Amino acid sequence: MKHTFSRLLLAAALFGPAGAHTAQAAEIVELRQPNAAKVVVKLQFRNGSSADPVGKEGLTFLTSQLVTEGGTKDMTSAQLKDFLYPMSTRYYAVTDKEVTTFTFEFHKDFIDKFYPVLRGLMLTPSFTQEDFDRLQSNLHNYVEQVIRASSDEDYSKFALEDQLFRGTRFQHMTRGTAAGVKNLTLADVKKQYAAAFGQDNLTIGLAGNYPASFAKQLEADLKKLPKSSVKPAVPTVAMPKGIRVEIISKPDALGSAIYAGFPIQTTRANDDFAALMVANSWLGEHRKSYGKLYDKIRTTRSMNYGDYSYVEWYEGGGQNMLPVPGVPRHANYASLWLRPVQIAEGLRKQYPAELGDLKVGHAPFALRLAVREMDNVVKNGLSKDDFELTRTFLRSYVKLYGTTPAKQLGFLLDSKFYGRKDWLKEVDGQLAKLTVDDVNRAIRKHWQVQNMFVTIVTDDSEAQPLADVLKNNTPSPMSYANVVKAGLPADVVAEDKAVADYKLNVTDVKIVDTKDTFK
Amino acid sequence: MKHSLQRLLLATCLLAPPLAQAQNPAGPSAPEAPAARPVAPAPAFPYPIQQKQLANGLNVVTVPFDSPGLASFFLVVRAGSRDEVEPGHTGFAHFFEHVMFRGTDKYSKEKYNDVLKSIGASANANTSLDRTVYHMTGNATMLEKMFEVEADRFQYLKYPEHEFKAEAGAVKGEYTKNSASLYTQLNEKVADAAFDKHTYEHTTMGFFKDVVDMPNQYQYSLTFFDRFYRPEYTTLLVVGDVKAEEVNKLADKYFASWKRGSYKPAIQPEPAQTAPRYVHIQNANFPPMVSLSYKGPAFSDQSKDLPALDVLTTMLFAENSPLYQQLVVKEQKVRFVGGSPNMTRDPYLTSIRASVVKAEDMPYVKEQITKALEDLKSKPIDAKRLADTKSALKYGFLMSLDAPDQIANSLAEFIWLTGNPESLNRYYALYDQVTPADIQAVAKKYFVPEGLTVGTIGPGATGGVQ
Repeated sequence: MKHTFSRLLLAAALFGPAGAHTAQAAEIVELRQPNAAKVVVKLQFRNGSSADPVGKEGLTFLTSQLVTEGGTKDMTSAQLKDFLYPMSTRYYAVTDKEVTTFTFEFHKDFIDKFYPVLRGLMLTPSFTQEDFDRLQSNLHNYVEQVIRASSDEDYSKFALEDQLFRGTRFQHMTRGTAAGVKNLTLADVKKQYAAAFGQDNLTIGLAGNYPASFAKQLEADLKKLPKSSVKPAVPTVAMPKGIRVEIISKPDALGSAIYAGFPIQTTRANDDFAALMVANSWLGEHRKSYGKLYDKIRTTRSMNYGDYSYVEWYEGGGQNMLPVPGVPRHANYASLWLRPVQIAEGLRKQYPAELGDLKVGHAPFALRLAVREMDNVVKNGLSKDDFELTRTFLRSYVKLYGTTPAKQLGFLLDSKFYGRKDWLKEVDGQLAKLTVDDVNRAIRKHWQVQNMFVTIVTDDSEAQPLADVLKNNTPSPMSYANVVKAGLPADVVAEDKAVADYKLNVTDVKIVDTKDTFK
Repeated sequence: MKHSLQRLLLATCLLAPPLAQAQNPAGPSAPEAPAARPVAPAPAFPYPIQQKQLANGLNVVTVPFDSPGLASFFLVVRAGSRDEVEPGHTGFAHFFEHVMFRGTDKYSKEKYNDVLKSIGASANANTSLDRTVYHMTGNATMLEKMFEVEADRFQYLKYPEHEFKAEAGAVKGEYTKNSASLYTQLNEKVADAAFDKHTYEHTTMGFFKDVVDMPNQYQYSLTFFDRFYRPEYTTLLVVGDVKAEEVNKLADKYFASWKRGSYKPAIQPEPAQTAPRYVHIQNANFPPMVSLSYKGPAFSDQSKDLPALDVLTTMLFAENSPLYQQLVVKEQKVRFVGGSPNMTRDPYLTSIRASVVKAEDMPYVKEQITKALEDLKSKPIDAKRLADTKSALKYGFLMSLDAPDQIANSLAEFIWLTGNPESLNRYYALYDQVTPADIQAVAKKYFVPEGLTVGTIGPGATGGVQ
């Protein structure tokens, strides 16, 4: 039964990346590994933060946290923690825009002992006021304070999404907004659990060392979940007119963290996504020194820690070297990530002799350089050699996406989301078939540099001078310390001049106080 | 760098589960039985460790693991920020790790990148207090190419002075990104306060003034390479779809001509601390935090002190512990509390951290943690709790070993601590022997006010915690 059903889904999905699928009962995806030491269960629900009711932003996230942090009908949270302690089981929930995924990992020795807990958490969670109060307070603290003072890189990314998806249910952080989280009640959580975590919007994933009877039991038990009545709200994002910049002004920032992006209409569901992967890898593969952006901004000019590009959302870029599953999306965008560059105040202090009068730091130069690189590849395409080398790299590299059973299973679930059987395997065949012309065609079709959103988190001393340069499109020469300037090759000096004068199609620049973000 | 930071960050992360303890295993969870017949316990590490030392001192370690077509290739250099003994050069080991990607005569940085692309590898490096690790995971059929390029740069690294100067900016960028986190800022202040003589007084990133000065240290970089990038400092570790004979043959071919060095750093021991120390960061827009960092033991695979401290902290801060249930669940005065000892070559810190809901509760939270530590000095823990904790640590470890790079990372830790990966099995065998009396003994020995550095983040001009 389930096989027939998934074939139907696949057939329906291949025709386009439209909205969320409408499944009727839980699908099951299995990856049995009789030699493995552990068992992984992943339960992926089609809801996500875009299914948060208006005014209750953060509800789906908090609901999923309450399921994993609380107790069950049979055991209080404290009893359960006591019971599980010697087994060292791990379970957690991740809420993205369109899905929430529960992951349970446990040693094969504990299948029988742990299963009733898993079933209890999913079917009869305790939802106590005590747990709710604690988790709501933590969540509010995150959206109100922690995000603004832990990583300017994550801050700029979430702020870009706030700009890019403004007015849609994708706008708010998956963890919600300050007002939304404050507004939540335990009754809201119970209601969202009943409405958004149903047997019909669930895909069950199983990996590792478990008997066939375990899968049957799990499937039968999860059929007891109710039917869901909410759906993720997937927006179609209009291309902005020109380059629209928001500068977030924050006290005591040591650098400027930049993130830029524009909507694209392609996801892993489409075959030409593989072509975009090649183009993207060449321009800025995540955490790789091979990309053009990295080479020009970091290696040659030593402006920051790294510079990358993306053709889909990349979760936890600061921590993860390879993409993680569990964050599939239908509404997609391409992006450029420039890690923090120096601000004028810092450069003046570090090099008073040569840069003592500097008015603006490296942000406008870095942004111009990155956009210009993308512009160059849109105009000129990849060479045959670059294409071949990058494709060779990717055909091997994508195998590293799934080095653990949990990751393999996660990518299988994501494959289902996109209407594919096993994207990680299929992508190799897609890459093998590509030609350099396919890639260059995909670049011209999906990439451009005239219209995009840009978010820059920076120090309050830098915000206005940076805004002035971008608004007026005045030249932004690179300001090197003498110690580096002295040895610059002539071609770099010449390119610097072109970058400094490169015009960005800026149509709007706004400064936002850090206190006014994610409200 | 990333590793040690990550542990501290994990321990302070507010919305993630406290994973910091999860990586340490223990032996079987049977209750204590000192009179039992001496049966050799099964080794904690579930895969065979095959070793061969070359004549020049390079240790070669192979661990075959079922990962078809994939291999992890690690070079563990036992030099980190601990070895930055001269003033003005803090952060240099980490900076030098960056410089290692600047090319050789045979493989310019562009050619090196092309090779990595052809291997389809995820390759990088990281530095911490005691070591620098270079790693690539990629196509196992390209193993010889991995050997060739790595042997080339470890022996014949050559970078123009301008390239060296340019790389310094990337390290400044790394400092800039890291310092956005107040936790990072607190780590820096606590280390600086807790140590006066030993090089552990600075984090692996180094002091910012030294980071800014890095472009001027070209000559020192030549000395640094000459000192530490030597076979006797290095272990080559390959995990995955490989055979030891093949790895050893390639090691002979590519690394046998690498010349041994003679340098040994003179690292000043830290004098005994005699009174508590305090550091504070004033910030009204961030969750208040109390951290208690006690001087702890150096790593040893012969002493039970570190396993006992690991069991103690795991048990004390587990989500089912009375302290956690009181502060986090019942009273809701604390968002997160956690802590663990660090495994380091010289004595370092056991750090405990609590993110506090209201700043005025910081003294109370510190008092409650200290009280829980005091109780452990006088009230022996029960046998079941001890057995459960050992079981938790054992299964946490076993579940973490499911990919070649994860396995390589686990072994690499023991390689940098002692030079011998078998230390892993020796160390984890000690967990079996930890008794309630051992827990009491380490509590009395290490959790004393004379060894304490208190770090706070709060809205006031001081932390207000004594």
